Amino acid sequence: MIISLNHCDQCGTCIAVCPVDALMLTEFKVEVDRDSCTECGICVKICPIAALEVKDED
Amino acid sequence: MKTKWDVIIVGGGPGGLFAAWQIARSGKSVLLCERKREMGVPVRCGEAVGHEDFTGYIPIEDRWISARTQTFILVLPNGKEVKLKSDIYTGYILNRDLFEYDMAVKAGNKGADIVMKSNVVDLIKDDEGNIKGVRSLEMGNEKAYYASVVIAADGVESRIARKMDINTALKPEDIEPCVQATVSNANLKDNALYLYIGTCYAPGGYAWVFPKANNCANIGLGINGKYADHEKHSKDYLDEFIDNFFPQASVQKYISGGVPVTTNLSPLAKKNMLIVGDAGRMVNPLNGGGITHAMDSGIRAGKAAVEACDKPEKMEKIFSKYERDIQKAFGKVHESQYRIKDVVYKLSDEEYNHIGEDILKLPVEKRTFLKVFSEVVKSKPQFLVDVLRAYTGI
Repeated sequence: MIISLNHCDQCGTCIAVCPVDALMLTEFKVEVDRDSCTECGICVKICPIAALEVKDED
Repeated sequence: MKTKWDVIIVGGGPGGLFAAWQIARSGKSVLLCERKREMGVPVRCGEAVGHEDFTGYIPIEDRWISARTQTFILVLPNGKEVKLKSDIYTGYILNRDLFEYDMAVKAGNKGADIVMKSNVVDLIKDDEGNIKGVRSLEMGNEKAYYASVVIAADGVESRIARKMDINTALKPEDIEPCVQATVSNANLKDNALYLYIGTCYAPGGYAWVFPKANNCANIGLGINGKYADHEKHSKDYLDEFIDNFFPQASVQKYISGGVPVTTNLSPLAKKNMLIVGDAGRMVNPLNGGGITHAMDSGIRAGKAAVEACDKPEKMEKIFSKYERDIQKAFGKVHESQYRIKDVVYKLSDEEYNHIGEDILKLPVEKRTFLKVFSEVVKSKPQFLVDVLRAYTGI
């Protein structure tokens, strides 16, 4: 999963809904821990400003 | 540089700041870690508070007030405005950035230590699972800070509590993804809190328009998370709303944020950790208001932490009293509001219009909250049954 960085406002809404605690805020962005991420997509839907996108790795 | 304090607070919103202020006033040492570079910025909030709620904790200062409000105006799905009795509500739209900055100064002047751009990424624990301290990333450097008590004030994300194995993840229906624009040239007719209610504005939530100084306004909107999908996000609803109702306005800034709309988290204390404010889901689930609950729980947590530092052998008892007191103060009310929320948001746009038309037949001075409620019941008797069910759990 890729998080589109030019939009992210670091509001934390995606982190609040992540069922496996795979997201965290760093200084300028949200980071995904790919090992724990199950790609359930809740974060992508909930983002108030559509900053998250699901893209294939390649 | 000092590395050990009596209490560490993670997060410098109203909950963390009031805890820091309380602890510093009591003469204990306290460190507050804030991830952002500037206290109070960006504001993630509609900034509305009630006079009595707020001033119960601290006298309000002029520079914290952007506008004063006297009443509510409900805007129906059909666009008609229902103005409620004018002295129903005295409240403020805050300058939350200035308010929080000043609270940090107050805490600092009482001796609280504050570290900015401190991203607390983990807890340091002993063999029994008690927290010894926190690990913080600061501009590429990792720091360790130690304390006897840790207060989790990290807002809606609530990751600190997760590190103590408390599941704080919100279900989509228990959060409102929100967006707000602060606009100029707002041209509001009244100094009122405008609430636009109906699926046509914001499914499972509402849109708000709150006056600010200099003909500005906070125009925001939250939808229920269960209606969030890939095609339409909160920002899309807000853009439509502003295009339709405030085409003349200029947007000064956008903010986004998630508002928990659920019951208080439980537990609110574990081992030597206390949870305050949004991190503990202490938000009115009907209207999304949480500033004064954060202030309240911050002060209570500050007092509990100080007491526990003096009597470490009684910490468990002191901390479980903290949770009980919060439940008593507003936790029980939130449980009722949470059940009513389901009933209210089940009403259709037609039903809202119908109820509104009935209220409009009354003279303005008779339009109180109670009257609004009884009109709802009159036009939809089932509502009373649903609400009673919600209250009693039958």
